[in-house]
Amino acid sequence: MGKDECKTMLDALNKVTACYRHLVIALGSTSDSQNLREELKKTRKKAQELAVANRTKLTALLKDKSISKDDRAEYERLWVLFTSSMELLDVDMKRSLEIGQDFPLKVPTRHLIQTGMTGSTTTVAARAMSVQNMKYEADANIDTVDLKELETEIAQVDQMMEEMEMKVQVAPWAVEAKQEAGAELKSTVSVGNSSVGVISICEEEPKETVEGETGLMKVFAGIIFTVVLLIAGILGYLVINL
Amino acid sequence: MTINTLSQDGVQRQQMSCLTKMERMVISMQDPDMGIKLRNQRLLITVIPHAMTGADIVEWLIKKCSISDEEALHIGQIFVKYGYIYPLKEPRNLILKVDDSPYRFQMPYYWMSTRWPASELDYAIYLAKKNIRKQGELIEYEKECYNALHKRINHTWDFVVMQAREQLRASKQRRKADRIVLKCQEQAYWLVNRPPVSAELYKLITLTKNTLAMLIQCSLNAKCAIKYIYVKYCEQYQPHDPIMQGCLPSIPWITDDIMFWNMNCETVAVPTKLRVERWSFSFMELLNDPMGRKEFLTYLKKEFSAENLCFWQACEDVRHGETSKIPEKVDEVYKQFLTPGASRWVNIDSKTMEKTLEGLKRPHRFVLDDAQMHIYFLMKKDSYPRYLKSDLYKNLFARAIVPQETKKR
Repeated sequence: MGKDECKTMLDALNKVTACYRHLVIALGSTSDSQNLREELKKTRKKAQELAVANRTKLTALLKDKSISKDDRAEYERLWVLFTSSMELLDVDMKRSLEIGQDFPLKVPTRHLIQTGMTGSTTTVAARAMSVQNMKYEADANIDTVDLKELETEIAQVDQMMEEMEMKVQVAPWAVEAKQEAGAELKSTVSVGNSSVGVISICEEEPKETVEGETGLMKVFAGIIFTVVLLIAGILGYLVINL
Repeated sequence: MTINTLSQDGVQRQQMSCLTKMERMVISMQDPDMGIKLRNQRLLITVIPHAMTGADIVEWLIKKCSISDEEALHIGQIFVKYGYIYPLKEPRNLILKVDDSPYRFQMPYYWMSTRWPASELDYAIYLAKKNIRKQGELIEYEKECYNALHKRINHTWDFVVMQAREQLRASKQRRKADRIVLKCQEQAYWLVNRPPVSAELYKLITLTKNTLAMLIQCSLNAKCAIKYIYVKYCEQYQPHDPIMQGCLPSIPWITDDIMFWNMNCETVAVPTKLRVERWSFSFMELLNDPMGRKEFLTYLKKEFSAENLCFWQACEDVRHGETSKIPEKVDEVYKQFLTPGASRWVNIDSKTMEKTLEGLKRPHRFVLDDAQMHIYFLMKKDSYPRYLKSDLYKNLFARAIVPQETKKR
């Protein structure tokens, strides 16, 4: 059905937007590299494909005059989700252009900000592209070449958003969200699925590193204690038997 | 689509120049030879590089800029205040301490920027993520912000929840050290851009809000004359408001029927009831309507005080007319109305007359104001109430028609 298809596509776009933001944050820091630039390019292209697909589907659904009022309200809600996603993507693309220009990679005295992040972002990009492993095949000067493409893509996205604003008459303030405050504490899997399962989304992060450390220390102490007890027990047994 | 000021303005807005200077300094701090000495931060099992002490920062600033201790400390404080460097030990305390307390650089994405100010949507996503991570245990101030945002951007709340979950899932893909750094950085960014209010200040603010609400309640209950005047005005004019009451025969913009304008124009034979009724609201209403003015003039002629209205009209003409014609107009007025023994002499008190005659020597736009005001109040107090009680007015009111409503086409 049209609605379910829409929802899965929106989920995918949402996922790619989140991953793209994650990658853009890493720009200019010590985790910036050729690979990151290529990952950004690929994620961006994927995001754009999904955006165009979503837009065509949603505009077709909204143009249909013969849908019921409930259906229309639902499609308007999905439309607001879509436009919010596009806005985030737009801002992130513009920021990645700005930061990419400020921090070129192939410069003799390159000064990337040493922020403490040194790992690679391959897994994030792989999640965005829905592949197991990323393949890197770009040439060495991707950071400058890509920026020009990025400019044209930003212009395209801006134009698309303007068209959307003109052609589709949806009042975003009239849409009521389905989720209430605190809804993120119950976890659901996707936009459409409203099953309330208690799937843990993220592992328990130590609230502050100090607390986490004391917790770990307790665990270690416990392990060492039991090991010592075991050794004592075994030695005692051997002494008695020998 | 939300009104997105960023997409149009983001490219044209300039970064504040002081921020650009700070960015350049931060970049020069990264120099492997001449930059700040960096150490590793040791958490129990994870080691995170690129930490520096407060003392290192101040020392570098002194060496680089050749300045005194005090000045270096002050500049260092600015870096921490604007979020380019954040403390690791006490994240909520954004000050620079000149000892071995650790600090770290902030990501370029999270640098303070006038081109990309922190948006409400992002803050909502951050709070939602924090809510998930802390299982609902947000601090008081953050809970308030969360609820306020939920009300304000309610239409995108689904998106906020979805995006918060996805961003957490994406960050799970990185290794533990990077995840810790990311969390600290995001927290530092929002501490700079949405500084929390201290508990005492918060109590003070809620107390002030409550007292204000109480005061407003009291003033509403009290007999406020201004309120009554306003209410009376609204009640009086409501039947005359086409938006509130609709207008007969029909609103021309909707039915394409211009009867309404035709029936209310100056030279119509029989006016509408509403129009005539309106003349009784105030003297100004009567004078503003050309037909009303004409009727009033007819009445005044019967009372032999028509010269008052003519004088008033002539003064209006001087006030609102061409500057070049003012001297001749004023002269006319003087000849017709103010000279003793003039054909249409108006009865002004001696003080005003003296003042006006004095001013006539150097005529300007407002020279006749005092005299005009005198005559205006004379008419308003004397002739106007009598006109409203007169047969002329009552007959006109009886003759006035109520137009029939035309059907929409």
